[in-house]
Amino acid sequence: MLGFLSARQTGLEDPLRLRRAESTRRVLGLELNKDRDVERIHGGGINTLDIEPVEGRYMLSGGSDGVIVLYDLENSSRQSYYTCKAVCSIGRDHPDVHRYSVETVQWYPHDTGMFTSSSFDKTLKVWDTNTLQTADVFNFEETVYSHHMSPVSTKHCLVAVGTRGPKVQLCDLKSGSCSHILQGHRQEILAVSWSPRYDYILATASADSRVKLWDVRRASGYLITLDQHNGKKSQAVESANTAHNGKVNGLCFTSDGLHLLTVGTDNRMRLWNSSNGENTLVNYGKVCNNSKKGLKFTVSCGCSSEFVFVPYGSTIAVYTVYSGEQITMLKGHYKTVDCCVFQSNFQELYSGSRDCNILAWVPSLYEPVPDDDETTTKSQLNPAFEDAWSSSDEEG
Amino acid sequence: MQLFPRGLFEDALPPIVLRSQVYSLVPDRTVADRQLKELQEQGEIRIVQLGFDLDAHGIIFTEDYRTRVLKACDGRPYAGAVQKFLASVLPACGDLSFQQDQMTQTFGFRDSEITHLVNAGVLTVRDAGSWWLAVPGAGRFIKYFVKGRQAVLSMVRKAKYRELLLSELLGRRAPVVVRLGLTYHVHDLIGAQLVDCISTTSGTLLRLPET
Repeated sequence: MLGFLSARQTGLEDPLRLRRAESTRRVLGLELNKDRDVERIHGGGINTLDIEPVEGRYMLSGGSDGVIVLYDLENSSRQSYYTCKAVCSIGRDHPDVHRYSVETVQWYPHDTGMFTSSSFDKTLKVWDTNTLQTADVFNFEETVYSHHMSPVSTKHCLVAVGTRGPKVQLCDLKSGSCSHILQGHRQEILAVSWSPRYDYILATASADSRVKLWDVRRASGYLITLDQHNGKKSQAVESANTAHNGKVNGLCFTSDGLHLLTVGTDNRMRLWNSSNGENTLVNYGKVCNNSKKGLKFTVSCGCSSEFVFVPYGSTIAVYTVYSGEQITMLKGHYKTVDCCVFQSNFQELYSGSRDCNILAWVPSLYEPVPDDDETTTKSQLNPAFEDAWSSSDEEG
Repeated sequence: MQLFPRGLFEDALPPIVLRSQVYSLVPDRTVADRQLKELQEQGEIRIVQLGFDLDAHGIIFTEDYRTRVLKACDGRPYAGAVQKFLASVLPACGDLSFQQDQMTQTFGFRDSEITHLVNAGVLTVRDAGSWWLAVPGAGRFIKYFVKGRQAVLSMVRKAKYRELLLSELLGRRAPVVVRLGLTYHVHDLIGAQLVDCISTTSGTLLRLPET
């Protein structure tokens, strides 16, 4: 660490290297910390978490009781012990609350004035954060499993919605209606994700074991169906390509958008090259996945070798993305973990599970070196805890 | 490869190794996968889908596969189709599966010839119009394999605390069901992560996972 600092100071190394090395070291030291807590508001399991991309300060959580809560993650008190408080929440007494479980919440990518939430009650609601009212509601015929809005796009405001039907719907926020439908899957769509690199590329994952990449401007259909065996690409082969041997539950692009990670109920996680759809054959081993709906996992951002955090039963497994090595399993939840998000400014991980808790995993800091001065240690001790007996034989 | 009991099948089957066994021998799985892919592209080995589990792939040397298949179909009516298949398709296409259009147009097979190939056991039906590559006569192997795997797993399950030292497991007498050899199955179980491998001061311990 000191070597990196002096190299940066003298200009021998790029400043980015120090930042990446330190981020990686912090991610490798993630653990539960007794000083950091998230206030417990939800009465049901937590299905989804999202941290706003602008400042990394506010987090939204959606639960199976239909409640949506907004937390402030920033530690503005001077003490090390800090509970992330809920700023506001859309509880069961709100007139517009979702009737059934909230499956996905997402902040508007460009500022925190708006967020979207979709739920099993077949609606996608667009909320105004300051007044906590719904600005718009989109109704669908089937339950909504997942939705996503492009984090980089400036040319369109489309929200891709995956429902129990085989068609992916694209809703336009500017006009307030569903602008197109993408056809091609045969069963329910469990996860959708826009590419963080290109405005118009969308990936969708479905229960029919297929993952398709789409360019939404093209009228003719999907670009590629991912094939786990990397067979020859020809028109006839397309129909038999499967990305996994079971339902595909979760999708996540790496932060540069060049690779895509998918998890499926065949207990495998695969890494794909997102430009040509090739399976990079990185083997992560068995990644247990029993979820019937989507699994939300996340990738770290800003480290020298990126890490992927996947909920694995009641623990979170951490793997390096490009080599497939398992780094550690983060144990702490009592029941199945459903979602996790990574805060890249402070290298913290927040995870939500069915035991109604959100846990914060913080990089373990160095223990402060105890002072040699005796006076300082004595003054820190609360008089209630001081011993009243003396070790000398005489009464004193 | 030496672990495969050839005598059992009277030389009718080529030695089959499973992908999970390769994982237990090579510590890094990604490297193992990539090397297998290279060998497959060079044409040294064929990867075959074994029917019982979509994830289990058998690996066979191409030479062994070719000699066995030819011997198996000697003198039968479909010999001609099989030879044509071996000569034209195998070197050209290194995939696990074949599609209808690929077979008829690229390689010039008629439907009757494809039926011959399925009868010979070289192709197995996957979907309407697509087939997996298969080994003729592999049914017996798969039966012994599945039974043997279950038997070895139950040996670990019945142990106290559901864990066994590797040396103790290998020292035990194999039950009658296990025809392919204990070491063969143990490599497969470790590679497929059906047991957890924990290193202790007395050697490797095999423990069943929690779930």
